[in-house]
Amino acid sequence: MNSLLQKEREIIVQNEYVDNFDFAEIEEFIKNAPKELFISHTFKNSTTTLVQPRGGFPTYNKMFDLYNEFMKANIDVMPLTIDSHTRLNDYGSAKKMLMLSEENEVDMLNGYPLVNHGYRTTRKMVTHFNKPVSLRHGTPDARLLIETALASGIFEIEGGPITYLLPYSKNFPLDKAFLYWKYVEKICANYSKLNEPINRESFGPLTATLVPPCITIVIQLLEMLLSLEEGVKSFSVSFAQNGSVIQDIVTSNVLKKTANYYASKIGCEDATINVVYHQWMGAFPRNKEFSDSLINTSSVISALVRADKIIIKTRDEAFGIPTMQCNAQSVANTKYTFKVLKGLPLISDEEEEANLEEEVHSIMEAVFNDSADTLWRKVFNSIKSGLIDVPFSPHIINKNEIITIRDDNNNIRIIEKGNLPISDKCFAYEKSKVKLSEDKTEVINKIICDIGVMHE
Amino acid sequence: MKKVVTGVVGNDIHVVANRLIDISLQARGFEVFNLGVNTYLEEFIDAVVETNADILLISSLNGEAEGWCRDLQFLRSEYELKDVVFVIGGNLAVGEARNEDIVPKYQSYGFDLVFHQIDLNTGLDTLEKFVNQKRGE
Repeated sequence: MNSLLQKEREIIVQNEYVDNFDFAEIEEFIKNAPKELFISHTFKNSTTTLVQPRGGFPTYNKMFDLYNEFMKANIDVMPLTIDSHTRLNDYGSAKKMLMLSEENEVDMLNGYPLVNHGYRTTRKMVTHFNKPVSLRHGTPDARLLIETALASGIFEIEGGPITYLLPYSKNFPLDKAFLYWKYVEKICANYSKLNEPINRESFGPLTATLVPPCITIVIQLLEMLLSLEEGVKSFSVSFAQNGSVIQDIVTSNVLKKTANYYASKIGCEDATINVVYHQWMGAFPRNKEFSDSLINTSSVISALVRADKIIIKTRDEAFGIPTMQCNAQSVANTKYTFKVLKGLPLISDEEEEANLEEEVHSIMEAVFNDSADTLWRKVFNSIKSGLIDVPFSPHIINKNEIITIRDDNNNIRIIEKGNLPISDKCFAYEKSKVKLSEDKTEVINKIICDIGVMHE
Repeated sequence: MKKVVTGVVGNDIHVVANRLIDISLQARGFEVFNLGVNTYLEEFIDAVVETNADILLISSLNGEAEGWCRDLQFLRSEYELKDVVFVIGGNLAVGEARNEDIVPKYQSYGFDLVFHQIDLNTGLDTLEKFVNQKRGE
């Protein structure tokens, strides 16, 4: 490993909330870790869609109990969701809240404070259950968190400089996020040489609010390229159920096709690309039976789009963090749906696919044509200038100029393209699908309805 | 063209409503300066001064507004912003609250118009009427 990076690593792990990092021991652990801990290995040897819930509790004991419940439900991939203090690198508050949670048996954190627990403790749990664990966080500067995760035996890392920033932050500097994530990619790439590859996963749902498929796909491709160019060999692109079955199928087809195309364009055809599908990420119905129905529909769509993994919700989604029993039940239900769901036809819509693919290539070309010298700088400039524009992002750098709306089949269509570099032909196609009222008030009311599309 | 400064006050990240207000104001012909979510009172006042705005439209959804807006009267007189129309809307209390209690309270903080759990378009209709009347005076 080049010495400058190693120097940075030694600085990163020197933190008053962290026990000594023994890098030689960690390397030895990863080299000899059982294959079952690597989701990249599970992907290779599985023919069905892997099921992964969300979940993280503050204390070790409660996290252990949650994993026990998941095991009973025959889970494929364990989640480890990190608390929001750790996401903001506030380990002091996380420590205090962890202590309060331990003393009073009340959860004072909305996830597992991995840095405070440390890798020696967490590794015991991970190796005990011997299932692949996926790290879910939302951290712009995840360097210490990822060092701790990998040392713990957590070999799937979600996130990225764009997808973990634009939906969550108003003013964390985007350029810094790119550099912090470059560090993460390098560490993952280096450890990937020792055993099975570490899998990186992007967070496709973004704001989960009327994001058009072309934006989702372009951001997935760019985070994939930023990862592969640092040497990552296993990467999952992802997207969320968007409200129209055919648009999900078309999105998946174009995403797979373009991911392979752009990966081989930079000479990374040896990398494995997986597709991950998120069950509905927008507002859920408050009626729990309806929630069950929505979740089940999502599972069927994930099978239709041939997802390699699905990330599931629970019937408690509208009310807060689910109980571990409710969460495990959701895993069991989804597994059952997949068991009975066989012989699905291949479906697509050629016209939709052609239009979406053209949009994606146009935006990618515009990004590559930026005059900056490195890919991350090109992407940075493209976001700043609105070539990439994420609807409903709170971040100050996001242009917020494009406007989207649903057509009669709930497909998301672009009606104002801002600075989005799609062709006139593609834009005309988008607009031809919706009959817009001249009255702007009606359009706004339609957007409000479109956001709450899954309400009862 | 009337200028509006808008944004969500405090540590409040409810971006969807903020964006809808932005689009709606533009559709009604206002020039919009949107400071986005997570904006502090001083930043609003600075933006009003900088843009020479006619209207300040603060929104709040998570119940924080009351804590943040108590200083408004003071800032309003300090910067001589008498001609600026001050508007607040959203969920203006933590938990349930009656309009009869909420509206006078925020008026005493220095807001000309107060919309507690009022539909967006109804609120903006009222705002436009208010601005036109003011012009007529």
